[in-house]
Amino acid sequence: MVKVVTMADIAHCRRKFMDLQTEVLIIGGGATGTGIARDLSLRGIPCLLVEKGDFTSGASGRNQGLLHSGGRYAVNDPEAARECITENRILRRIAPHCIEPTDGLFVSLPEDGPEYRANFIRACGAAGIDTLPLSPREALSLEPRLNPRLIGAVQVPDGAIDPFTLVVENARDAESRGAHILIHTEVTDLIRDGVRIAGVRVRDRITAEAFAIAATWVINATGAWANHILRMAGLQIGLALSKGSMLITNTRLSERVLNRCHPPASGDIIVPNDTVSILGTTSLRADDLEHYEVTPEEVTFLVDELSRMIPDLKGERFTRAYAGVRPLLQSEEAGDDRMISRGFTLIDHGSCSGPEGLVTITGGKLMTYRLMAEKTVDFICERMGLHVPCSTHVQRLPGAGQGHTLQDRLLRLRRQAPAAKGEILCDCELVPREAVDAILREGKVRELQDILHRTRLAKGTCQGGFCVYRLLGLLNERHKADVSGGSNLILKAFLEERWRGIRPVLWGTSLKEEELIESIYKGLFNLTSGEPVLPGGGGA
Amino acid sequence: MTKEEKPAPFTKFPDICVRCATCMAACPVSRVTPRFPGPKQAGPGAQRFRSAAEASVDDWIDLCTGCRICDTVCPAGVPISEMNLLAKAKYLDERGRSFRDWLLVRSDLFGEIAARYSKLVNPLMKKKAVRWLLDALLRIDRRRDLPAYEYPTFRRWFRTRQAPEGGGPVVAYFYGCFTNTNETDVGKAVVEVLEAHGLTVVVPPQRCCGIPRLGVGDLRGARKMGRRNVDSLLRTVRGLDIVFSSTSCGLMLRHEYGPLLHITGAEELAQHLFDICEYLLRLHEVGKPAVTFRSIPIKAAYFAPCHLRSLDMGLPALELLRLVPGLDVSLIEAECCGLGGLYGFKREKFAIAEEIGKDLKEAVARMKPDIILTDCEGCRMQIRHMTGLKVLHPVQLLRDSLERRGTAQQKGLLKRAGQACKSKNVRLVISCVRRVCLFLP
Repeated sequence: MVKVVTMADIAHCRRKFMDLQTEVLIIGGGATGTGIARDLSLRGIPCLLVEKGDFTSGASGRNQGLLHSGGRYAVNDPEAARECITENRILRRIAPHCIEPTDGLFVSLPEDGPEYRANFIRACGAAGIDTLPLSPREALSLEPRLNPRLIGAVQVPDGAIDPFTLVVENARDAESRGAHILIHTEVTDLIRDGVRIAGVRVRDRITAEAFAIAATWVINATGAWANHILRMAGLQIGLALSKGSMLITNTRLSERVLNRCHPPASGDIIVPNDTVSILGTTSLRADDLEHYEVTPEEVTFLVDELSRMIPDLKGERFTRAYAGVRPLLQSEEAGDDRMISRGFTLIDHGSCSGPEGLVTITGGKLMTYRLMAEKTVDFICERMGLHVPCSTHVQRLPGAGQGHTLQDRLLRLRRQAPAAKGEILCDCELVPREAVDAILREGKVRELQDILHRTRLAKGTCQGGFCVYRLLGLLNERHKADVSGGSNLILKAFLEERWRGIRPVLWGTSLKEEELIESIYKGLFNLTSGEPVLPGGGGA
Repeated sequence: MTKEEKPAPFTKFPDICVRCATCMAACPVSRVTPRFPGPKQAGPGAQRFRSAAEASVDDWIDLCTGCRICDTVCPAGVPISEMNLLAKAKYLDERGRSFRDWLLVRSDLFGEIAARYSKLVNPLMKKKAVRWLLDALLRIDRRRDLPAYEYPTFRRWFRTRQAPEGGGPVVAYFYGCFTNTNETDVGKAVVEVLEAHGLTVVVPPQRCCGIPRLGVGDLRGARKMGRRNVDSLLRTVRGLDIVFSSTSCGLMLRHEYGPLLHITGAEELAQHLFDICEYLLRLHEVGKPAVTFRSIPIKAAYFAPCHLRSLDMGLPALELLRLVPGLDVSLIEAECCGLGGLYGFKREKFAIAEEIGKDLKEAVARMKPDIILTDCEGCRMQIRHMTGLKVLHPVQLLRDSLERRGTAQQKGLLKRAGQACKSKNVRLVISCVRRVCLFLP
């Protein structure tokens, strides 16, 4: 792990948390974990969250950023569809700044046939999802790049969601209400006290310091890593790990989410997200949770399959490929992972011959994170004998407005402090120096990737090729990069991670640009490979 | 809107950009003002964020002079200025254009009238009070010299003159508004030089090329002008080569009518369009003409206008000028004069134009030439304004060095000067004497 914090920051942290004890300990800083932390703190229950990387390091940061209407599940999994549309409406209310209400189209191509479309409209109606059938002409006028051969489309209230902001805002709100959060802190062992789990042993991944945290309840909200924690208690649950790969385009392909109107399959969705569009997904069994890549076959498959919906997709420029691992609850009949319900489960290990005080919440999806948190906290409250109702569905998240248009960006730039005006660190995504300064001032980030999770820096065309060295300059100025290898090591770790993301889609203009970036780093900066490079965390 | 007028899809442009920032280093505007973020940012960068459905907000786009240097330096071939132009058109369509802009782009209409009454108009335009008034009412900067009008116009001169005998190959001439009403001598020089090369010059019916309208993002207006020109030129001169002496008109005719404005027939027209120097140089390269140049032993500096560079044909004027014996001509190492056509006349942009031109001014000061030569009327105005030196179109110097003219012409000029003295026409006297002096060793 590479540091971007001073020793003083950590010492301060440790002084604060040396003697750690809490009521509820949450493991995992994804949407579910931070959602639970927020829910607990809203109900006045002290809690502490530990996360081995940064927020959104797992599936929460490696998904399509789709605000489901539920339409996708309506035919096969009506219960999940109902959950989705309920949460969809709640999220629009509590986190409007994380959401682009783009709407979505379910596009029927000739090969999809009209039968599924009829089924789909019926199932959506049953699940309470509003649908608006569109003629091919109407659909094309809304989305001119669609395949003109389409036989129809159905509009549903899909949208785009920014999971990074959503999770960070949840965490920030929890902290402001008394929750404690330790990122880059890994659970190494569970502490048992007879039949109960009495706490956890953790290790700071940056300082390597180990300490213990005592807790009455331990919630395992580690998603795909659930069994990794449970193994420490000699437990295991049936969890299928399914890798989903996605591609990011340089520009927005459509203004609406585009789905194929056919039974859920791989490569049938395009989500506009801020300045880009995300193409997804595949579904392959993952064996290793720490090392997985997007394969060339997956890239070819996604581009081929989705160019049925947008025929000129092949000429599009792609900036990155990434993959996430979905934790899917194993059903009895093994088969296609897509047939496994996207539902979630809450397991109280005490009531099924495991140690008491340990709860696992897994499965589910980003859309239902709040519901998962609500159910978990409801359960904890019940066991604690508390009767405080949940309020996460009405309490809005804090945070400033976001937007993907030039207007939004320029207005945001205009709001910056006058001193920082004009200085833009990332010119692909118009991220001003001031935005990074504000994050550094907050003092919560400990790694370069942490900064990248909190801004759109390096998420544009050049993927950080032309701006990360500017960021390093800023870090150096702020004395945040002067420990353990310094800027060089940080830069290398970043470039390794970047390379992992861009390599699968490196052709055409991207390849030309990469030649240029390579010569800048190797030729001008004299950056050599050779020294061991530590992998960074982080998503796309 | 018919099919031919459908604007090109430019959603792909941000994808071609490799973010190398070469254009940022070359852009004259972003070099002098932080208000313009540079071609990369304003073009492919901002394009990623723009949405056709949303109102334009990037007011910086109006600061682009349209010099097209970014296009010429871009290694990836991104049509940056086209992208900026389309964004500017959308911005100004939404915001509306000022009366000044409306007026300035119609200079071809009032130019004829102003030329007719040039004796009245010219002294007026030099009056401080008038300039102050124009500044106050129209925001046309009072520090900028307004170009004087000349009468008879080039068109009138050409129509009424005694055409020389000879049935050489025919070539058509697109003179442009400024030559017609403000620098008629450039047109005369073009005709004389072409005739000296044994060609017969015809002047087809023509209108303003429309580039001033393009400058204020009025694509529809520019397309209207363009369609008329293409129709007229194709009808009357089909099969003939057409030369132009104004690089900006030429750029418009050759490069914007087709790819940007999608005017039917523009591609065919473009194949027959040549810059006057490019055309003459070709004649010399194939060794056709029996024209030799007389020595003009002066020190000249040649400036290559931005629009000439974006025509992508090298520097034919410079090569031609090197054929003139005794002429010590060197290239001015500067990017852009800064005027940007009507841009530099606008009060809010005057300072930017001046600041851009500083490089050129300093380069000229270092070279200390007797005369400056450049192909574009805008550049000529700006260089005169900045340096106070004599600035000509290269073809004017070529005309003056034509062998057959020589001393006979000097005599003629002196004779005319004498007549002018009698008739107390001071301007003609000065012009004759000036031209005689040019021939002096």
